[in-house]
Amino acid sequence: MTKISNISKLSETFSAGLWKENPVLRLLLGMCPTLAVTAAVKPALTMSVCVIFVLTCSNIVVSLMRNLLKPHLRILMFTLTIATFVTIADLFLKAFMPEMSTKLGPYIPLIIVNCIIIGRAEACASKNGIMISIVDALGMGLGFTIALCTLASVRELLSTGKIFEFIVMPKFFVPWAAMSMPVGAFVTLGLILGLMNVITRKNA
Amino acid sequence: MSKIIYFTKQSWLLIVASFVFGLIIAVTNSALSQRIESNQTKKLFDLMGQLISGSERFSREYENVTVKTAAGKEIKTDIYKAVDSESKTTGYAFIAEGSGFADKIKLVIALDAKAEKFLGFKVLSSNETPGFGSKISEAYFSNQFIGAPAAILELTKIGSPEKIDNQIVAISGATVSSQAVADIFNTYIDTVRDKLTKGRDK
Amino acid sequence: MDTFLVLILSFISIVVVNNLVLTKFLGICPFLGVSGRIDMAFGMGMAVTFVVTLSGTITWMIDHWVLMEWGLEVTRYVCFILVIAGAVQLVEMYLRKFFPTLYESFGIFLPLITTNCAILGLCLFINLWEINSLVEAVVLSFGAGVGFTLAICIMAGIRENLELSDVPAALRGAPITLITAGILTLAFMGFAGMIK
Repeated sequence: MTKISNISKLSETFSAGLWKENPVLRLLLGMCPTLAVTAAVKPALTMSVCVIFVLTCSNIVVSLMRNLLKPHLRILMFTLTIATFVTIADLFLKAFMPEMSTKLGPYIPLIIVNCIIIGRAEACASKNGIMISIVDALGMGLGFTIALCTLASVRELLSTGKIFEFIVMPKFFVPWAAMSMPVGAFVTLGLILGLMNVITRKNA
Repeated sequence: MSKIIYFTKQSWLLIVASFVFGLIIAVTNSALSQRIESNQTKKLFDLMGQLISGSERFSREYENVTVKTAAGKEIKTDIYKAVDSESKTTGYAFIAEGSGFADKIKLVIALDAKAEKFLGFKVLSSNETPGFGSKISEAYFSNQFIGAPAAILELTKIGSPEKIDNQIVAISGATVSSQAVADIFNTYIDTVRDKLTKGRDK
Repeated sequence: MDTFLVLILSFISIVVVNNLVLTKFLGICPFLGVSGRIDMAFGMGMAVTFVVTLSGTITWMIDHWVLMEWGLEVTRYVCFILVIAGAVQLVEMYLRKFFPTLYESFGIFLPLITTNCAILGLCLFINLWEINSLVEAVVLSFGAGVGFTLAICIMAGIRENLELSDVPAALRGAPITLITAGILTLAFMGFAGMIK
């Protein structure tokens, strides 16, 4: 009996991150990387993988030491944990994907101040056991990935006529350079959020 | 005394965690640092191979060559040598940088073995406006530099891009970026050519 | 005289040409969150300017005099974030003790600043741009704060007027703010290439 309720709770936590509490599209967290790295799908995907890695690791560590935390040193511990894993992710990127590392530049270390990660450490991992924390991290990370990839594919398609560097648009398509500039990021995200509002209103 | 006990009680986790995390970072770094370094030179050598045809091996020829920019700043760069399979010099290359339209532009510039002609450039990193300034890496602009005399280059707005001389035809709509590339060439060329020709006379 | 000119140019460059919010996407969260009213926006801007100047200077010093001397660049991110968190805490304590009225007006903004990407972002960009003089680093840090204040105040001014206008229902709130910000970046793009 308890096992079933456990599983249903896990799946609920997992799916919350995908749609109902999608960190980017619903909670408006982690906007900096969302806007900055979505000029194309590939950097967006790399960024998402890094965020999932850091989020999972930090959630595990925070969940393990949740009973030892002192209230006023809590935030300091969170940032220390996150910064460590971000450094590791950055080193791995530099070693195995040097092109991508120079392209993403300072936005990889900026994962440290991504509100999603510190928010999940505070709201979930410091209160729950290790299983729920992991599942929560994966769900939230996947929700972040979905949001980033949607935005990136729209922008890459309109700005270059390609998706994932494959040409998909017909020959007469004129690339829309503005989409890969900052203005493209802001306006596309604004329109996607508007679309989300329309969908939820219809369902309600 | 009780104060010290209080402090340690409050912060022991922080201190222990700092040590553990520091250790983790140190281990990862020592495992990967060699690979990171070789990645950087590998990219440079790849680009050099594309620019200087027939080259097999690359090595650093001069370290920390100081170049003065128009603004009076001093930048340091290294000059690399490329040799073919019979270890005959095929050309030289160096990394050059300067400010573009939006951000810094970094180029790899190649010279032939006698340091008389350019063998072209490749963009190492740039953040120019997509669709305009980013065209500096396209062939019709960058090919103008292949075979151009290793001297001061001039930017013009009209002319034929096919003609190879020290007149570089700017990209329409991206004059600032084109000028930036030409300026980067001009900043470095005198110092680098002097260094290379002097080195050969010895 | 020349160095003075360089400083003025880098100040203008960080305030308008390379404005952190509108060209580098840093500090978007507070940019969207507290740009509803112009006095709140100004308060946030002042608090950020204060902290960013302090932490930009300290991180530059630590980076150049400790980390680079000892070859500890790999721990750069950890050190930077600790400096920022520490700076925020210090500023908070100092203000509470000596300027209680100012502390009241900064209020909730101070703790929020630790996770403001604009601050860590600026420290990282100073490192990326290879700024070699302390004075230039200080000017850049201060300019970044001014640029942030500028952007968030412009946005707040627009949003105050936006409340009175007829926005399509689906776009109300965050979406229209984002779209407005997009148009604002177009205006700021006009400054690009102004400084070489």
